[in-house]
Amino acid sequence: MTIPPGWPILGLGLLYIAIAVAVVLALRLLWQRSAKALADKPGMLRPIAIAGGVLAVLAALLPWVTFRFNDGPYPDLATLQFFDEPWGVTGFRLFVLLLGVVAIAAPFLPVPARRVERAIGLGLIALGLVNTIFPLISGGGFGAITAADGAFAFGGVATLVAGWVVATSAKAGPLEPLPHWNPKVPRLLAYAVLVVSYVVLLLVVAWMLDAGTDPDGNTNTYAGPIFLSLLSFLGAALGALHAFGFLGWLTALSERHRVFSIGVLVVCALALPFTDAGTDYWMTIAVNVGVYAATAIGLNIVVGLAGLLDLGYIAFLGIGAYIAANFSGAAASALHVELPFVLVAVIAAIVAGIFGAIVGSPTLRVRGDYLAIVTLAFGEIFRKAAQFNIGGMTGGANAIPNIPPINWFGRDFSAPLTIGSVRLPSGVLYYVLIMVLVALVMVIFANLKNSRIGRAWIAVREDEDAARAMGIKTGQVKILAFLIGAMLAGLAGAVFAHKTSTVAYNSFQFIESVTLLAAVILGGMGSIPGAVLGAALLLVLPEKLRDLQDWRLFFFGLALVVIMRFRPQGLMPDRHRRAELADEGADGVPIEELNVPDAPDGSTAQAVAR
Amino acid sequence: MTATTAPVLAARDVSMVFGGLTALAEVSLELHEGQILGLIGPNGAGKTTFFNCLTGLYTPTKGSVTLRGDRLPSDPARVTVAGVARTFQNIRLFPSMTALENVLVGRHARMTQGPIASLFHGPAYRRGEADARRRSLELLEFVGLRGLDDELARNLPYGDQRRLEIARALATDPAVLLLDEPTAGMNPQETEAARQLIFAIRDTGVAVVVIEHDTKFIFSLCDHVSVLVQGRLLVQGTPEVVRGDPRVIEAYLGKPPEEVEAEVRQYAEEAAHSTGTAGTADPADSAEDLDTEGGSR
Repeated sequence: MTIPPGWPILGLGLLYIAIAVAVVLALRLLWQRSAKALADKPGMLRPIAIAGGVLAVLAALLPWVTFRFNDGPYPDLATLQFFDEPWGVTGFRLFVLLLGVVAIAAPFLPVPARRVERAIGLGLIALGLVNTIFPLISGGGFGAITAADGAFAFGGVATLVAGWVVATSAKAGPLEPLPHWNPKVPRLLAYAVLVVSYVVLLLVVAWMLDAGTDPDGNTNTYAGPIFLSLLSFLGAALGALHAFGFLGWLTALSERHRVFSIGVLVVCALALPFTDAGTDYWMTIAVNVGVYAATAIGLNIVVGLAGLLDLGYIAFLGIGAYIAANFSGAAASALHVELPFVLVAVIAAIVAGIFGAIVGSPTLRVRGDYLAIVTLAFGEIFRKAAQFNIGGMTGGANAIPNIPPINWFGRDFSAPLTIGSVRLPSGVLYYVLIMVLVALVMVIFANLKNSRIGRAWIAVREDEDAARAMGIKTGQVKILAFLIGAMLAGLAGAVFAHKTSTVAYNSFQFIESVTLLAAVILGGMGSIPGAVLGAALLLVLPEKLRDLQDWRLFFFGLALVVIMRFRPQGLMPDRHRRAELADEGADGVPIEELNVPDAPDGSTAQAVAR
Repeated sequence: MTATTAPVLAARDVSMVFGGLTALAEVSLELHEGQILGLIGPNGAGKTTFFNCLTGLYTPTKGSVTLRGDRLPSDPARVTVAGVARTFQNIRLFPSMTALENVLVGRHARMTQGPIASLFHGPAYRRGEADARRRSLELLEFVGLRGLDDELARNLPYGDQRRLEIARALATDPAVLLLDEPTAGMNPQETEAARQLIFAIRDTGVAVVVIEHDTKFIFSLCDHVSVLVQGRLLVQGTPEVVRGDPRVIEAYLGKPPEEVEAEVRQYAEEAAHSTGTAGTADPADSAEDLDTEGGSR
């Protein structure tokens, strides 16, 4: 029997995975031991944190790889040749250096040091892992970091140890309570903070999208690790900002000045094409993110607010897209009618809404898992109907190609745009359109959520019988959730049809429904920014990890598992869900500490336990 | 006084049969304006089943329930709209909503904004929303949860959760409030507070029906007590009458009367104490003056 050529590589990969698992388990054991030893010694925070921080700074200055990779910015200064140019600390090593410095400084600052150290430590570990594993995989095994001509590249290992030490220092005593900053500040100050924060957010997003792109615009071979390093660093920075109460304050501020912050956010989003990320490529991705975000917000009404699991949601996007395709005047369409886009979008939304109500009608009788199966079936019916052109509107396996781009006032949406001397990438007008649409959908969602209808949805999710006992006609309310959610998806589908110019049945597979659901859950159920962030992550991450090739989906899946393990409430949770899934009170206090019953006898304790 | 007015809520010959099991057999009850009616009985006597028949959760196999002469529909939502609100034996709040939001959900049936209005938040919408918010805050204050409106329901202490459930039920502007074991699992202080709260609710003009296990609580609270045993009304009448009935004692406590008489006397005395009601009949007197027409109206 001959061994297929792929097997040794698979074996090597499994070996690495096994080693990683062993290391993680060993660290975990050490971690628990040290946590126990440190539990009542808050004085140990400073020495341990400083030791870890110093080690991190040293690690940043150490070489990380024993040889020089192909030309490219990634390991340029990370190799043994580094000593030719000792102070040129850039890229991920700059992140390690910065985090090390913060780790040293934090115990001396009036901040919740243990929370900050925890974030920094985890960030360092992530940086170390990314930049150790990558050379191992693409540099051909352990030779990449061990001996080469008698020299060692300790950087990655030292960073891992440093990260672990810093994180351990956080175990010296319980975590501090999250500081609460008063959001009632003068209006001008609040506006200034919001504008600065959102502009910084825009720049960071552009930086992330652009990470690993050469000045000439080509993605380099090391884009994946460069991006992941940046992500680790930003994660640690966000964690630290959260630790001393800034993020909570910012959230409270934007909630207090909702209209203003939505305005700033929209302006910032519209400014993205002007940044380094303003390329044709990213505009296409961004439009897709917008389409998915609008759809995910629609799904969020059904799943996040009303608590009805829908596994066939992509069908509503598909219905919207096919309607738009048929009214676009495309040669292959069934109708050969061309209507103005706005009218088409409205028709698409209405038709999708009608189908939503039809799909929702079993909710009167079917609950929970069973409903999920009904929706799953609907999604498959739709896809198959589209594939075999049932009803004659879908073009079947030939799809509906050559849908003309949207054309308003003689301006072709797919052409590049020039404003003054600035040449904006093609697709920028679609980007603007979808951003406006997402903003509209966000307003719709927010208004509904904070209304009589939205409360009824949440009540149905929480306890359907109790909701009925409060006079809520639960059947109507649930169908309404499906109807409105489907309308939003149909609206997004209309844009999707014109942007992609081809509507084919295989754009609406089950995996797309799962992606939408993942976007909602990843971002945080019931949360608007969460759904957008979730959609962005799910579409952008695979793009940024493209150079990991076969490992791409592996790491993508791994990232999802890790996020759900450590943040089950989602990345930007809705207040309600945060409480439910993180077992925290409104201010982040664990439930067990809040809900102490004054039990005079066993019955109270029993009742509470129930 | 109560006998002369027409009943607010009347159940006539309500029977409920599950398969071959008769949970309720021809139970008839009348609840009058300003009355607090207690429904007691041993476990499995059919008290909660009866509540479910009143609130439309179950459709009675036989018999009818009327509110001010109109037959109640067999749909909980429409029963609530008609004016019968309830709380649940196991607290069933919306745990991840704030206290205020819970009460606002209770306002749902009394608000009129539809989806379109909810979408655009016009002036009329905002007025309605502000009214509902004001009323809900009033109710929170009324049940003693002032200042806790922004707290998540799940984070409230047990007693407060019971109060919140009452506030939520009151938000539906009911004519009749049904409380299913409102003091289960409460300590004596909380129980006393609940008693005062129910009196206050009665004083606002809402007729109240209470299911309880705690006979002491019922006797000190209610104007009228009905005893349900194995799905049948055994005795009904004033607390004094019911308290002394040997069949009640037997059915409810499961002991021969001689053994528990002392205990019952003690209950009565304590109850008389805690209510401070003048003119409570001597337990010995009422024990002689038995109401033997159990089960009749």
